[in-house]
Amino acid sequence: MKIILKYIFTNVKERKTRTAVMLLSILLSTTLLFVSFSIGESYESAQRKMARGMAGSATLSVTAADGGIKGENIPKLSSAGASVGVVEGTALYHENGYYEAIDLLGADLSGLNKINPPRLVNGGEITNFSGSQVILPDRFTSKYGIDKGDTITLEISGTPVSLEVAEIAAYDTVFLRHTRGATALLPLSTLSELLGQTYGYTEILVKPAEEISTSELKSELEQALAGGGYRVSEVVNEVQIEADARQKSMPFFLISFFSLTMSIFIIYGSYKVITLDRLPVIGTFRSIGATQKAVTKILLAESILYGLLGGFLGIPVGVLALKWILRGMGQSLSQGIEIPVVISPFSIIFSFAVAVIVSLLSAWLPVRRASRLPIKDVVLGSVEEKQIPHRFIVGAGAVLFIVSIFLPRLASGGASEKLLYASGGFSLLGLIAAAILIVPLLTNVISRGLEVIYRAILGNEAGLAARNMRDNKNITQNITLLFISISAVIAITVVGNFVTAYVGDVFRDAELQGFADGRMEPDFVERVKDMEGVEKVLPLYVYKNEMQADGVTLRRLEATERLDWYSSMMALQYTDKEMETKAISAFEQERVVLLSESCMERMGFSVGDMITLAGDTGQNDYRIVSSFKSRATDVEAVISASNATEDFGAAAYGFLAYTAADPDAVMVQIRDLFGDTSNWSRTVEEFNTDALSTVGAFLQPMHSMTYFILLLAAVGVINNLLINYMQKRRSIAMYKSVGLSNRQNLKMNLVEGFTCGLIGAVIAIFVSYMEIKTIFLVAGPKIAMTPELDAGTFLAAGGMGIIVTLAGSSVPILKSRNMKLVEEIKFE
Amino acid sequence: MKKELSKIAVEGKHIVKDFRLGATTTKVIKDISLQVQQGEFVSIMGPSGSGKSTLLYILGGLDRPTGGHVLLDGMDISRFGDEKMSRIRRQKIGFVFQFYNLIPNLNVEENIMLPLLLDGKKIGGYKKELNHILELVGLSDRRKHTPRELSGGQQQRVAIARALIGKPEILFADEPTGNLDSRTGAEIMKLLREINQSIGQTIIMVTHSPEAAKSSGRVITVKDGGIV
Repeated sequence: MKIILKYIFTNVKERKTRTAVMLLSILLSTTLLFVSFSIGESYESAQRKMARGMAGSATLSVTAADGGIKGENIPKLSSAGASVGVVEGTALYHENGYYEAIDLLGADLSGLNKINPPRLVNGGEITNFSGSQVILPDRFTSKYGIDKGDTITLEISGTPVSLEVAEIAAYDTVFLRHTRGATALLPLSTLSELLGQTYGYTEILVKPAEEISTSELKSELEQALAGGGYRVSEVVNEVQIEADARQKSMPFFLISFFSLTMSIFIIYGSYKVITLDRLPVIGTFRSIGATQKAVTKILLAESILYGLLGGFLGIPVGVLALKWILRGMGQSLSQGIEIPVVISPFSIIFSFAVAVIVSLLSAWLPVRRASRLPIKDVVLGSVEEKQIPHRFIVGAGAVLFIVSIFLPRLASGGASEKLLYASGGFSLLGLIAAAILIVPLLTNVISRGLEVIYRAILGNEAGLAARNMRDNKNITQNITLLFISISAVIAITVVGNFVTAYVGDVFRDAELQGFADGRMEPDFVERVKDMEGVEKVLPLYVYKNEMQADGVTLRRLEATERLDWYSSMMALQYTDKEMETKAISAFEQERVVLLSESCMERMGFSVGDMITLAGDTGQNDYRIVSSFKSRATDVEAVISASNATEDFGAAAYGFLAYTAADPDAVMVQIRDLFGDTSNWSRTVEEFNTDALSTVGAFLQPMHSMTYFILLLAAVGVINNLLINYMQKRRSIAMYKSVGLSNRQNLKMNLVEGFTCGLIGAVIAIFVSYMEIKTIFLVAGPKIAMTPELDAGTFLAAGGMGIIVTLAGSSVPILKSRNMKLVEEIKFE
Repeated sequence: MKKELSKIAVEGKHIVKDFRLGATTTKVIKDISLQVQQGEFVSIMGPSGSGKSTLLYILGGLDRPTGGHVLLDGMDISRFGDEKMSRIRRQKIGFVFQFYNLIPNLNVEENIMLPLLLDGKKIGGYKKELNHILELVGLSDRRKHTPRELSGGQQQRVAIARALIGKPEILFADEPTGNLDSRTGAEIMKLLREINQSIGQTIIMVTHSPEAAKSSGRVITVKDGGIV
């Protein structure tokens, strides 16, 4: 055993470059996998933190249907943990023409400390907090140059109130928010007095006891408070948080998938050469009585060593990479929160296990094959690789290709979501596997054509380089590795760009400059119209999942008084230009509906069809007058406001769009007009900036990880070129013995490298195109917006692949310059 | 056509070759001088480690001497750079090795034409020469086969054909029968003898086999780095 171990360690030590390459590939895949898992959990934690905002660890909110609520109204339940009563209000802060919406918060500090303690920037604790004092977050104070001890004026219910800044807090815990503006903490009694809250609190936030779920506590509280005029609601939608985090961490799993595939390939390729290299030793072992099993074990033990080392090093590197990726990311988010680095035992164990298993399995196939070779052939060195007929391999590849392309398409036509995801996974793997099977034949066919072209244009050496690519396993391995890495880079870039484009699509080319989303009575709209500088105001009735078209629920139906304004304000893109004029003229005269293209396709409608629109309050027949391109807004149908009132009893508006000379000033007034009513109001500029910076911040790590993929690809290509050189050394020597000069060798290698890169890039472009189609078919948003397949991305990635191979060609070129010809050719 | 005799094909003057292994320097060839005339068939014999193969590789320009000169066609090739030496190998020298050294993924025709291809020649213009040489080595029916589809003897015939296609001044052979059975070895020697006699091809061959050496006109014996 000691001798065997010594043999294994000597092998690892002697082959320094190969050991380094193997370790690096396992280490990088472990790192990528670990980061993918941990980033998902970190996102989830950040998402939860942002969504909970001021509620902290409390998950339920209890409010009174009418007026305030007191602490004693909440029954003492064993399932309930800490709770805190809060008073909430709004204010405006005005400075040098800027308006900032302020959410006011007053709370019993001892209760607040239990569920969401404010964190002061000086690290101290809140003491003697009373009277006209306020605590503000550092993001707000630094923006306006406010210091501790300064006095600021807030406009509360139209009255200016002066408050002394008692402390400055970190933008965290109670000060976290979803929207722009800031949260200010006031002494409870001061705020109650300012708001005229004479009875109790606005709401009481409750945290579940240890090991009690939110839903359990909710149902117990609802039972206990039944009939008392109280409402118990969840602070955040946990399911939604998980879904959002999952969506954001999806691209990282895509990266892991590619990196794992590449690692398997690199390790498998390396082990094929290692076993070939070790054949004499295997022969010696076998000839002195080692069984097949014993030889397999010895060789596999080495792969386990690589796996263990790669895993051990990969996790700490992953932790550093994760910290680096998440560093400063929170600051670039509009919410500006700190994204916690969450490292779960599962991520560690899973990534480590994958490192060992991938290393073991990738080595197993070549090792098993080597240990089964006849002893005589091994000892005499007459081992020949078994040739599987091209016809069979290509046939299998073609079948796999067809199945991989069509399976998700079949599954998307009504199969369950699980089946769709399974078929998507199969398709992603299948497309790569099929391409791997087809690469040898494709290389042969392409090199046959190129041999003639090169010979005519670039001379005999170039023709020979192309000829040498035929039936050359090293070349096909290089091409395979290259196409996997290039397609990974393309797929990741396209997915990332799509997410950015999708977010920016909501108001692209739209005339509106600001919007308000919330319940608005006609009087509210009139007041907005009267605001100074307002140009156009377009109120809309909104039905979200409330209306049905021939029995099928519409995701969002909007009703407007002016279709011409609606078209320009919301940048409605009609399927063809003529439809716009027809739709506008028919809109006021008859019952017509405009449907989105994806909605038409989903329901099998055509323009001119009569459909029945039905809601809770009525129904009527409508003629489809035109269709428009679907967008990220979810709007599926548009009808006239008069019809909505007549048929469905529409009364209050749900959305308002406006244009104005100063959209920001109008927005502040609109928010003020809403008062305490829940609303989501933004200028378009604000919306786009926030959305893009949030998405950009979440996608930034993905771009960072693309570098890891490239690094892994570079490691793989260098590994392959080393292997290639080891195997080619003798053939280069043979060429040299019949008159190949160094200059000719350089030319041949460059032509070979370029052609390899070119073929790899072409296959990668095709495979990644198909992969992207599958990804969007399976996991993309259900809208008609298609990913923009920018030719530049494909060409840049392809070009990069060519450069990598060309750069890698320097290995055989440099090494063969000083080759000792006699040594290389004299011995078999 | 038989080449003219009594002109020096290759001449070695005071050839010395040292090998360094760590701190130790071993003198493999100690001041050897020799001449081989055009059209001669010379065998170099000697025990293992005597330096005979090293001498052959130095004369053939695959290795450089530590000291001394090699004159080929009147030119001192021992100090030639890579570009010049490669051209000499393509145009003036043919090599046959014990292990054939054929390019495994090229077929018989392509392996044979390799020196011409590297010399920038268009293959189309050499069809006649190719056919002739394939006939000479008896492989006309194997022209599209790859080396792995040929026997050892056939592979060595391809190697001989490759060495001869460029009509070299000298054919160097390093134990051409060393990897073959006696019958096949005898056939290869017969082929070499025929080539020497029919076209006057100068051949310098290293061999262990006295039987093979009998085919040559002159035998040079090397022992401990010197000619005895």
